[in-house]
Amino acid sequence: MDVESRKRFEEQALPHLGALYRFAMKLSGDGFAAEDLVQETYLRALNAFSNLRDPDRVRPWLFQIISRLAIDRHRSAGREVPLPSPEDLDRFSLYDRIWEEDPLPYSDRLHEDVLGQFRDEEVRAALLALPEAYRVALILLYSEEMSYRELAEVLGCPVGTVMSRLHRGRKLLERELWEYAKKRGLVRT
Amino acid sequence: MGVREETRIGEDMKSQKLSCEQAVQQFFAYLDRALKGESLEALEAHLAACLDCCDRLEFSRKLDATVKDRLAEAPLPEGIEERIRRALAD
Repeated sequence: MDVESRKRFEEQALPHLGALYRFAMKLSGDGFAAEDLVQETYLRALNAFSNLRDPDRVRPWLFQIISRLAIDRHRSAGREVPLPSPEDLDRFSLYDRIWEEDPLPYSDRLHEDVLGQFRDEEVRAALLALPEAYRVALILLYSEEMSYRELAEVLGCPVGTVMSRLHRGRKLLERELWEYAKKRGLVRT
Repeated sequence: MGVREETRIGEDMKSQKLSCEQAVQQFFAYLDRALKGESLEALEAHLAACLDCCDRLEFSRKLDATVKDRLAEAPLPEGIEERIRRALAD
């Protein structure tokens, strides 16, 4: 690529460095891994820059590259873990578990108070425990506030798949949080 | 949300059109403002008649907010832009 094109790429793409890095940090929880992911994203984006038709779309385009790269890396590293069936996932309800267990008998805002008991690092660890495809979708939703249509475009999948990933990701997150509540003795079972 | 009651209100107040199970399935899409048209109307009609589902929905909303709030905004590491510029130039 000639110097002029690279300069144009840097002018358009580097203003999004902060957003990409923050996203990568939320995704990996590790500064080195985050920077590595961001750098690889920029290298791939530079190679594909001539395919970008609309300069106004550079931000979603970069998020598309980083999201797919994160999912592909995770897949090729063989870190996929078997998931509960959708039926089993839907049967689990953190709301019901809290109600049944009643860990704060004197609280008149039981569910809210139990959520408040979780430490920052526990919530982040629960999110990090999710399979990459679910975590990517949830973090894009929470941090970038993308619509389902935008998520579908970024993730390269139908809107129905986005809905399913967000639904299952949240149900998995509920299970993970319950496990942390058990480990820390917030609940008995 | 989570207000103690003698009975779990809502078990016998289900909307005729949508069961509680069906309503719960749509909560996340509702929170994400992705429900439209008849689906949205059906869920809102159910919520208007089912306090239990309202509590559950509020819990899901609070859980979302809890996760969002705990996602730390990491500062950019010193020198990262320069390192990326160098990698791009190589």
